[in-house]
Amino acid sequence: MGFLVTTLIFVAVGIIASLCVTICCNRGPSTNLLHLTLIISATVCCWMMWAIVYLAQMKPLIVPILNEGE
Amino acid sequence: MDDLLDKLPEMDLMRSEKMTLVQLIIPVESAHRSVTYLGELGLLQFRDLNADKSPFQRTFATQVKRCGEMSRKLRFFKDQIDKAGLRCLPRRHELEPDIELGDLERKLADHEHEVLEMNSNSEKLRQTYNELLGFKIVLQKASGFLVSSNAHAIGDETELRESTYSNNGFIESSSLLEQEMKPEPLNQSGLRFISGIINKDKLLRFERMLFRATRGNMLFNQTPSDEEIMDPSTSEMVEKIVFVVFFSGEQARTKILKICEAFGANCYSVPEDTTKQRQLTREVLSRLSDLEATLDAGTRHWNNALNAVGYSLTKWVTTVRREKAVYDTLNMLNFDVTKKCLVGEGWCPTFAKTQIHEVLQRATSDSNSQVGVIFHVMHAVESPPTYFRTNKLTNAFQEIIDAYGVARYQEANPAVYSVVTYPFLFAVMFGDWGHGLCLLLGALYLLARERKLSKQKLGSFMEMLFGGRYVILLMALFSIYCGLIYNEFFSVPFHIFGGSAYKCRDTTCSDAYTAGLVKYRDPYPFGVDPSWRGSRSELPYLNSLKMKMSILLGIAQMNLGLILSFFNARFFGSSLDIRYQFIPQMIFLNSLFGYLSLLIIIRWCTGSQADLYHVMIYMFLSPTEELGENELFWGQRPLQILLLLMAFIAVPWMLFPKPFALRKIHMERFQGRTYGLLGTSEEDLDVEPDSARSHQGEEFNISEIFVHQLIHSIEFVLGSVSNTASYLRLWALSLAHSELSTVFYEKVLLLAWGYENILIRLIGVVVFAFATAFILLMMETLSAFLHALRLHWVEFMGKFFHGDGYKFVPFSFALLSDDNE
Repeated sequence: MGFLVTTLIFVAVGIIASLCVTICCNRGPSTNLLHLTLIISATVCCWMMWAIVYLAQMKPLIVPILNEGE
Repeated sequence: MDDLLDKLPEMDLMRSEKMTLVQLIIPVESAHRSVTYLGELGLLQFRDLNADKSPFQRTFATQVKRCGEMSRKLRFFKDQIDKAGLRCLPRRHELEPDIELGDLERKLADHEHEVLEMNSNSEKLRQTYNELLGFKIVLQKASGFLVSSNAHAIGDETELRESTYSNNGFIESSSLLEQEMKPEPLNQSGLRFISGIINKDKLLRFERMLFRATRGNMLFNQTPSDEEIMDPSTSEMVEKIVFVVFFSGEQARTKILKICEAFGANCYSVPEDTTKQRQLTREVLSRLSDLEATLDAGTRHWNNALNAVGYSLTKWVTTVRREKAVYDTLNMLNFDVTKKCLVGEGWCPTFAKTQIHEVLQRATSDSNSQVGVIFHVMHAVESPPTYFRTNKLTNAFQEIIDAYGVARYQEANPAVYSVVTYPFLFAVMFGDWGHGLCLLLGALYLLARERKLSKQKLGSFMEMLFGGRYVILLMALFSIYCGLIYNEFFSVPFHIFGGSAYKCRDTTCSDAYTAGLVKYRDPYPFGVDPSWRGSRSELPYLNSLKMKMSILLGIAQMNLGLILSFFNARFFGSSLDIRYQFIPQMIFLNSLFGYLSLLIIIRWCTGSQADLYHVMIYMFLSPTEELGENELFWGQRPLQILLLLMAFIAVPWMLFPKPFALRKIHMERFQGRTYGLLGTSEEDLDVEPDSARSHQGEEFNISEIFVHQLIHSIEFVLGSVSNTASYLRLWALSLAHSELSTVFYEKVLLLAWGYENILIRLIGVVVFAFATAFILLMMETLSAFLHALRLHWVEFMGKFFHGDGYKFVPFSFALLSDDNE
C-alpha cells in the first residue's frame, strides 16, 4: 500500500483515538494531557515498529532460499 | 517555543505534588481526637521531633505499652480460637459504638483470666483421664498375662503379692482401688509382678534396661494396646504397649520402679483375682465415663467463652492497632513550654491544606475544647517527600519505577512514559500473537475477578500477579501487535495481509533451492513476509533486521531520556545544565549513533551494498579517505568529518565549563554572604534555627566538583557505546523466543502429528502444551520482563533520573499494615 499511505493511516488512527479519549473520559486538563501523552507514545511506538520492518523489506539484499525439505 | 510549552496544562503525574511543611499547635485535650481524625484523613506525614529520645523516655510510653499488652492478649485469643477450630464470623460491627480504651482493657483482662483458668482446669482433668485410660488398658491386657502365668505357676501360692505404685497418686474415694494401693506385707517371697503401660518407642530400651538391672532375673511380657492415648505434652496420639514384669526380691522391685519412673511408664496395680479384676474394671470404666462427661462440659464452656470473644475480635484488633498508631504519632510531638499544648510538624500536599484545616476544626469542636488548633505553614530547609497521585493503572508502573529509586522532589517522573514504552519493549522481545493471546486471556481473567480477589488475602506470587494485572494486560496487547508484525502465531506465519511479495523465478521453481525466490512487487504491507519462515536465508535476514531495529529503538529511547533531562533543567531553572550538559550530550550521542541510525535508514531506502561496519569504523580510523563503494549519499565524507569534529569538541565541552561556572556563581554569592545574615528573619521561633543556617555555610570544593563532572562525562561517553550495544538484547531475546517456539512446534507437535497413532498425537499435543505454558509463557515472560526493566532503569533513566528522594508516607489508618499476622 505504500509507505506514505500507511503512515497517514497511523497518524489518523492516533488522532481519532486521542479525540475519543478526550471526549469519553474527560477528567480535567491534567489527566487529559496524560491520556494524550500515552496515546501519542503508543502511536509513535507502533508506527516505528511497522516502519522499520517495512523499510527493511523495500530493497532487500538477500532473498528467501527454500529449504530442501519442503 | 518557550511560551507554547508554558501554555500547556501541567500534568500531575509528571512531577511530584507540591508539598508544604506545616506546623500544628494542638491543645492537650483535643490532641488524641485530632490525631485520630488526621489518621482517618491520611494526608499528613508527621516528622519525628523526638528522634533522639529512646522509646521509654517518650511522653506516651505507658499508653503504648498498654496497647502492646492488649494486642498480646488479642493474639492469645486468636491462637486459642484457632486451636479450638472455631470460625467466628464477626457481627456487623458498624452498629456497635466505639469502645473506650480503658473499658476494652478491663474486658480483655477478664476474658484472658477466664480462658487461662479454663485451660489449666481442663489440663488437669485431661491428665487424670489419661491415667485412668491407661489403667483400663492395663487391666484389660494384663489379665491375659496373669491368667497364663497362673497356668504355669511356680509355687502353689494362693495369692501373688502385688505391689502397686502410681506416679501421680490419685487419692480418690475409698474403693477397691484404694485397698489395692496399700502395699501388703511380704510374708512369703515369691514371684511378684509390676504391670504398666509405656510408649511404644521407648519399649526396647526399657526392656534392655530392666534386663541389665535385674541381671536377667526377670520375665518381661508385653502386648500392644488397641487404643491410642493422647500424649499431653505433644497433643498427639501415641501408641502404647502394656507390659508385665515378673521378678522376685525387694531390691529388684525398687530398681524396677525407679526405671519405670525414668522411662515415664505408668504402673498400675492389677489384682490377681479375676473377680477383683472385673470389679476394678467396672469402677475404672464408670470413673472414665464421669470424667469424659466433665471434659465435654468443660470444652463446651471453653468454646462458648471463645465464641463470645471471637465475635468482636476483629473489631478489637483494629481498634487496638489504631490506638497504638495514634499514640506512636503523639509521641512524635513535642510539649511546649507551658505544657498545655503539643507542637507537631509535618509534610502535607498543598491541595490538602483546606481538608486538614477542616478536620482539625471538627476535632476541636468534638472535644469541646476552648482553644482551636493553630495550623500554619513553615519554611522548609530539607527537601520535601515525593508524592504521586496514581490510579489503578499507573500505580503498578509507579511501583516498578520506585523500585529503582524514588524520584527527587519535582523531577520528571519516568513512569509517565514507561506506561507505554515498558510493555512495548517487552513485546519486542516476546513477539508472538499466539502467546500474546494467552497472556491476554490471563490478564482478562484477573481483571474479571478483580473485586473478589482484591478482598482476599493472596499468596505472595498471586499477589504480585494481581498487583500487575494492568501491566500484564498492556504487555499482552502490545505482544499481539508485535506478533502480527513478526508474523508469528506459535511460530507459524500467516498470510493475513495479502499474498507474499516473493515468487519463483519461473513456473518450474527449479532454482528455488539454490538461487531463491525473487521479489516481484511492493513489500508485504504489514509485518514480515511469510515466505521467510523456513527458508535457509531466514536467520541472516531476520538477524540483520532485528539488530538494526534494536539500535533504532535504543537511540530513540535514549534521546527521549536526554530530552527529559532538558525539561528537568528548564524546570529547575538551571541554564548551566542546559548549556554545558544537555547540548554537548545531545551532540555527542547523535553525531555518532544518530548518524549510524541515519545510515541504516538510508541503506534500507536505497538498497545499497555498502558495509556499515566498514563505514563506521573507518570514519574514526581514517576519516579523510575516499569511501568508494561504501558511499551512500553525496557529501558523505565531508559530513562524516564534520560529525567527528563535533563529537570531539563535545567531550571537553561537557567536562570543563560547568565546574568553573559553578565556582564563579558561588564566589558571587559568597561575596554578599557576610551582609546576608542580618537580612533573613525566621518567622517561627520553635523551629531548629541552627541546623537551617549550617547548610548554607558549607564550603565549595572545586576539586570535588571537577571530579564529579569528570565521572559524569566519562560515564556518558563510554555509556553511549555500551548502552547502544545493550539494546541488542531486544534482538537476542526475540531470536531466542522465536527459535524456542519453532522447535516446540516443529519437533514436538508436527513430529507427533506425523504418526497415525492417536495416542502419540495426544502425547505430542500434551507435551507441546506444557512446554509452551511453562517455558514460553512463564519463563520467557519473566525473562523479557526483567530485561525490559533493566533497559528502562539503566539505559533510559540513567540519562536524566536522580532518584534520591524519599516517598511520602502519610499517617493513615488505611495504610496500617497487618504486621501481627
